Amino acid sequence: MSRSDWRDHDWQLIHAAPQSPLLHMALDEALLDAVGAGRRQPTVRLWEWASPAVVIGRFQSLRNEVDGDAAQRHGIEVVRRISGGGAMFIEPGNTITYSIYAPLSMVEGLSFQESYALMDSWVLEALRELGIEAWYQPLNDLASAAGKIGGAAQTRRGGALLHHVTMAYDIDAAKMLDVLRIGREKLSDKGTASAAKRVDPLRSQTGLPRAAVVERMLATFRRLHGLADDRLRDDELAQAQALVEDKFGTYAWIADVP
Amino acid sequence: MHGEYKMPGGKLVVVDLTLHDGRFAGVRLSGDFFLEPDAALPAINAALEGQPIAIDDATLGTAIDAALPAGTTMYGISSAAIVVALRRALHEGAPA
Repeated sequence: MSRSDWRDHDWQLIHAAPQSPLLHMALDEALLDAVGAGRRQPTVRLWEWASPAVVIGRFQSLRNEVDGDAAQRHGIEVVRRISGGGAMFIEPGNTITYSIYAPLSMVEGLSFQESYALMDSWVLEALRELGIEAWYQPLNDLASAAGKIGGAAQTRRGGALLHHVTMAYDIDAAKMLDVLRIGREKLSDKGTASAAKRVDPLRSQTGLPRAAVVERMLATFRRLHGLADDRLRDDELAQAQALVEDKFGTYAWIADVP
Repeated sequence: MHGEYKMPGGKLVVVDLTLHDGRFAGVRLSGDFFLEPDAALPAINAALEGQPIAIDDATLGTAIDAALPAGTTMYGISSAAIVVALRRALHEGAPA
């Protein structure tokens, strides 16, 4: 089987009004399954957040990663996503998060690193057009000379690959460090002593409003790979809402790795 | 007991456990690694549970590998890294 290219697919864009953190978790599963089963064309989803959240990776310990009292004090919801990787600290308007639901044929025969590099390539081009020299830094970071810009995570199921990315647009580093427990061991092979210095947000690097950065990113994707405006279907939304009830909103899932 | 190991070129691998009658008990692997299928996580925990404290690293690694569901993929984690995190938990012994 030969590998497919971006242009072999009819890419769809979903960019809906702000949604809850739990619904975002569920939409990733519902849309990944829809693309994997061939019910939906390959899709890019741009997330808008209705409320603040800490999103922990599939295998992270809830207790080890999050200061539950601090999260509660700041009114920050803790949710668990379906992909591995590290915790993300989200406040509406402070991050740019998107998901790519791609057919597995696009990464056929590629190593994990090649697969991350491929899925990140268009956004690196978009950042370049915005004046930011950025690169994919294995295993799963997006980096610039000034610091880390964002992180990616992938998961595969059925016939589809989910590649989702959160980039820091602006960040309240003090609040982040209050809520996330970032241990010394984790920083042991990073070049900086301070966790706050690990992230350098897009706002300071572009000087542009968040919406303008998003618009430029999507324009780059559209130009490179083609992108048709689509919307979430009623059945997809209903399925995601059911997943919130039955899975993502349950303590069993959130504390699955206690 | 709690042990952490940042695998060089990989991700953070964490093991929490206690000891019961000279054997590993309540073993919990966690971290920011990538592991598929996700059923591999409880399979690894189960493979470590009840192993004698005197077990050698190679045997532990083999036990982990043997427990993985068919087709398991690991990115940023390895059975050897899990063993290092577990040894750190045993030796450093910081409370979980």
